[in-house]
Amino acid sequence: MSAALAPIEARRAEALDSFRVRGMPHRRFEHWRYSDLRAVLDAGQVAQAGTARWQISEIPDGVEMFDLSSGGAPEWVVKNLGNIGNRPTMEEASLAFADGGVALRVPRNRRIVEPVRLQISHAGNLRVLIVVEDGATVSLSELHTMDAGLVRNVGVEIALGEAAEFSHVRCAPPAPKSFNVEHIAVEAGRNARYTAHFGNFGSRLSRTELHILLGGEGSEAHLSGVTVLGAELHADVTSHIEHVAGKTLSTQLFKHVAGGRARAVYQGKITVREGANGSDSRQTAKALLMSQRAEADLKPELIIFADDVKCAHGAAVGDLDADSLFYMRSRGIPEREARRLLIHAFLEEAVAVIEDGALRDIVWRDVENALPRAMEAAK
Amino acid sequence: MMLEVKDLHVTVGGKKILKGLTLSMKAGEVHAIMGPNGSGKSTLSYVLAGREGYEVAGGSVTYDGHNLLPMKPEERAAKGVFLAMQYPVEIPGVTTLTFLKTALNAQRRARGESELDAMNVLKFVRQRATALQINEEMLKRALNVGFSGGEKKRLEILQMSLFEPRLAILDETDSGLDIDALKLVAEGVNTLRSPQRGMLVITHYQRLLNYIVPDRVHVLAEGRIVREGGKELALELEEKGYSEVLKVPA
Repeated sequence: MSAALAPIEARRAEALDSFRVRGMPHRRFEHWRYSDLRAVLDAGQVAQAGTARWQISEIPDGVEMFDLSSGGAPEWVVKNLGNIGNRPTMEEASLAFADGGVALRVPRNRRIVEPVRLQISHAGNLRVLIVVEDGATVSLSELHTMDAGLVRNVGVEIALGEAAEFSHVRCAPPAPKSFNVEHIAVEAGRNARYTAHFGNFGSRLSRTELHILLGGEGSEAHLSGVTVLGAELHADVTSHIEHVAGKTLSTQLFKHVAGGRARAVYQGKITVREGANGSDSRQTAKALLMSQRAEADLKPELIIFADDVKCAHGAAVGDLDADSLFYMRSRGIPEREARRLLIHAFLEEAVAVIEDGALRDIVWRDVENALPRAMEAAK
Repeated sequence: MMLEVKDLHVTVGGKKILKGLTLSMKAGEVHAIMGPNGSGKSTLSYVLAGREGYEVAGGSVTYDGHNLLPMKPEERAAKGVFLAMQYPVEIPGVTTLTFLKTALNAQRRARGESELDAMNVLKFVRQRATALQINEEMLKRALNVGFSGGEKKRLEILQMSLFEPRLAILDETDSGLDIDALKLVAEGVNTLRSPQRGMLVITHYQRLLNYIVPDRVHVLAEGRIVREGGKELALELEEKGYSEVLKVPA
């Protein structure tokens, strides 16, 4: 199999060269302007961060797993690893520096009911590859814990075959001392469907970037997320969805709550390529600011090269509704509890879309934990 | 006296709305406050419930012998003040039942009483809801979201029934109701009349007072009570109109 390893090694070498040339992303790159990574972290720290750890307690029947730190990668890994999407600079870094990670494959027409639970811990670079073949279905929860480490940089690749369905919930509790970057690249085949929810609770700098290629006719991406931040935490969700084929559909719903001096960022870029007729994209991002010093940056962006398309977007930043707050207090609910209930209500529709009840509970639990800090004014 | 308002002056956004309003009510009584648009009716109800942004520039409000004005809205609620609002707010994402449970237990907690568990809340709510034709399905919906005008007002009266306030203020509860809904709401209010409870019924029209018969009627104009009388005063207003009645020296 040593000959088969060559393509991966070649891609890693190429990634290393590319990262050396391009370096760390910084605010002069338009889509990094709210998250100036180079200002807080240098390329050497990423290169020397080592490899983060991952764990899957139970592999459901029918799911094939391959540990990327072991040799003899099977054909489906060789074909896809480092080969999905356009590899932006931080993804080059995770590919070049991670000595490990996990690859999962769901073979053709297998429908996996039990979610795969992936836990990621410790600092370092890491690679994750998910291949869902034609007609197959699976869901994954990606739960992060961060200890004392400085930087974690994860590169996730997802290849969805024809009519494949993949649902993804990523939850990252607060990590006030560390930097967290994750790049998720998705390629969706004909009638494939990618559903994802992101629970963001912030880091010193946290960046979750998605690049989704709706390359097959009728493919769909549905993204939702909640960000709840206090103190000096930062969380950035940046998505780029490319409607390449016709009749593709994308929806996005993101709700952010920021208190203290926290900063919540959402950038949603939609590109509708020439010929992607009958495509439909909708995005909504809303933020509640709980303090004068908190900041929310919401930036929708549409680039359309096709004629027969529907694109809708909306963004709003505000405070809790004074009428609702008074209504609740006049019924005996103390101000703090009323605020908490109203924030809950604000987030509800974005969390309600998570189909798996247990995963929904995990997101709510993290929301509850993050709320007291998010409800504080700046110190 | 249960409620004593003396020479109350209130400004909203720098504008004088109440200009020396004086009014008193005993427990067990129902008083109507009638007045034309812009006379200060809703301002009075908000000041009594403690809404922010209503600045008291002078005068006093005493409730059961306590100074009401420094209290927060939630403290007033726990002490038995209830305002049925003209425009109940819609809150997507909070179910009606969750809201009722939270409010009920918050008031109980503030009074040092034990909280009710979910089962007991449901039992209590069901028991009171039936008379107001509020069904289980309505309780499961988000608070006031998609409710008709009549449903919203019935839900206000249900809250009044659950919280059992000492002082209930009904702000234009009749507005937007057809005659059947009005009767249903009025019946709900009438069953809550009791010797321990005072009710302040604020309305523009006399119609509601055919069903909720007041002990006393106050006419509010330009921020002051300009006339007072028995229930027959409401009929006189209906017949002659505000402008005619207000010409008569008090």
